[in-house]
Amino acid sequence: MKKLIGLALAVLVASVAAGTASAGPKVAAASGISCSGTIKIAIVTPLTGGAGFLGAEQSSWAKYAVATLAKPMGLKIQLVLGDTPVEQGPAIAQTLAQKYVADPKVVGVIGPATSGGAVASTQTYNQAGIAQVDQSATSTTLTKHDSSQKPPYTGTPSFFRVIPGDYVQGPTDARYMINTLHAKNVAIVDFQEPYSVGLANAASAVLKKAGVTVTRLSAPNTTTDYSAYVTKVPSNADVVFFPTQKPGDAQTFAQQLLEQGKKAKVFGSDGSNDSTAFKVPGSYVSNFAPDITGIAADKAIIAGWKKANPGKTVGSFGPPAYGATQVLMTAIKKACVAGHGTIKAKRDVLRQVKKVRINNWILGGSFRFSTKSNDPLNAKFYIFQIQSNGSYKLVG
Amino acid sequence: MDTFIQLTIDGLTLGSVYALIALGYTLVYGVLKLLNFAHGDVFMVGSFIGFGVLQLLGGTSNPIVPIWALIVLITLAAIVGCSVLGVAIERFAYRPLRDAPRIAPLISALGVSFFLENSMQLLFGAQPRNYDTFSLANGALYLRGIDIGSVRLPLLRIITIVVAFVMMFLLWFLVTRTRSGKAMRATSFDREAAAMMGINIDKVIVFTFVLGSALAGVAGVMFGMRVPTNVTIGFVAGLKGFTAAVIGGIGSIPGAMAGGLILGFAESYTQGYVSTKWSDLFVFLILIAFMIFRPQGLFGRADIRKV
Repeated sequence: MKKLIGLALAVLVASVAAGTASAGPKVAAASGISCSGTIKIAIVTPLTGGAGFLGAEQSSWAKYAVATLAKPMGLKIQLVLGDTPVEQGPAIAQTLAQKYVADPKVVGVIGPATSGGAVASTQTYNQAGIAQVDQSATSTTLTKHDSSQKPPYTGTPSFFRVIPGDYVQGPTDARYMINTLHAKNVAIVDFQEPYSVGLANAASAVLKKAGVTVTRLSAPNTTTDYSAYVTKVPSNADVVFFPTQKPGDAQTFAQQLLEQGKKAKVFGSDGSNDSTAFKVPGSYVSNFAPDITGIAADKAIIAGWKKANPGKTVGSFGPPAYGATQVLMTAIKKACVAGHGTIKAKRDVLRQVKKVRINNWILGGSFRFSTKSNDPLNAKFYIFQIQSNGSYKLVG
Repeated sequence: MDTFIQLTIDGLTLGSVYALIALGYTLVYGVLKLLNFAHGDVFMVGSFIGFGVLQLLGGTSNPIVPIWALIVLITLAAIVGCSVLGVAIERFAYRPLRDAPRIAPLISALGVSFFLENSMQLLFGAQPRNYDTFSLANGALYLRGIDIGSVRLPLLRIITIVVAFVMMFLLWFLVTRTRSGKAMRATSFDREAAAMMGINIDKVIVFTFVLGSALAGVAGVMFGMRVPTNVTIGFVAGLKGFTAAVIGGIGSIPGAMAGGLILGFAESYTQGYVSTKWSDLFVFLILIAFMIFRPQGLFGRADIRKV
């Protein structure tokens, strides 16, 4: 009996060893994809869960980009939707990555939308030579080394993004708090995941250097009631930096601050940018995109999107998704031209991404990647203050 | 001292909601010896019913009835809606498995939980729903209240705590002072003997589900009035309600009430005095400790078997 068990164990170990011997994802080659046929791109974003509003907005703009831009480029693009609910953590992004690298027709990915998902999956895409053009993952380490983070670098050469990283947002927000709000005491709340921790660290470093007293609080990502955290905010705090991906939580926190009679203003990051959900007057929000309804060149795009999405309002997460889709499709077009009508390998698309230049960029001005990183050149963050009528006014 | 008072208020508010959820678990377990894992999702549905009725009544920015009537009506709607849901769950998911091995209704309960969560998501989407009670009367529910030293007990918290305690009192009265309550206790003690004494077991079980689900509905509305609700809140709330029921003694009504309050205070004080990162860990450590050292809970009876 013992010999039988030993033999079974040996067979099991050998099978596992053989199965893992060929490391890396099973890549389906794109060799011979005709550019006159259907080419697939995927968008990976939280379509369900607490951040489902973000995915719904991003996917609607990505669909609109495909519907309006593919044909003039001479491409037939099929947009595949990949759902990554934030409550399920980053692992689901990796599961989707394996699915897409195995699909011979998927030549590029928009996203993942969250930094956690991007960190979890970028190695898989990179090994498969699949380009990622990200629309909202802002973690610094995805494109730059940050020695204050562990690990200091989580990116790959295949990861690009059309919005600036937290190394811009965190310091921008912190400098606004110091220079404009004259904050002397700031509480910072993180949610124990890469996005908020990265932002919190970036802001904290600038604040501390300027002599501001910083109180750090840490809440699980599933927190809904912030009463105890509000209790820990010092009564003399001027600002609470709240880098959440759920605007409703920023609203709850701001309400509970008022409930406990605390004077601190809530300063949300790009993840809390939603005027229908976060609207306590006097609060602040930063975002990587201006309000595109104020950009004259975008009028036709906005009108077309609204027609395709009746009853919906233009948010701040959708336009970068449109831009990322445009960049990816432009790279596909360049690969098709270079390959004389055929994409021989998925890497052919990846090689073209960095060369993309777009005039009349949806977020204003023109677009190109920086030569020093896979981030956009000269990108910036914008600061908005919530007015008494709930609207967001650009203040910085 | 102010911090202690504030944390106590927080714990009492949280604990009141947990107690209402725990009561549902304990009622069903007491009568059926079944852990109704769908109970957390009934709580979630209750919060959505409250939100829906609130919109029908004009929302918080333009209500068509006074604030007190608004709160009463949305709570009643959640009670009715969740009671109907509870009856349906009992009829279709549990009754056919009443004589099956105990694992079968447990698995069915998990299935119902997933079904409810995903159905709500398909019907209403993933977006969180905010009751936006802050918009009522220029934030009066948050900014007005009773001052205890320099700490304010806001109106909204007073409403949550009072409603929860009133519901607990009504439940206690119903179970201990009425014929229906007597029938429930008899069924809980010995189902077969109760049937032989002429008690309609099916009616008692349905009534139990109505009560438990109604309480979950109230908890859902009280929760939704303070924080945004979404289709995923049922899972964690259900876990904590279950933990509270176990701490108090699964099957014991006073135990469920005490367990809920203990859990609320434990979570609040841990967040305030130890670390905000450790509160959930601490709460579930308490559960493990009770399972090891006092599995019958605070008010439950030890299970003595004759050998």
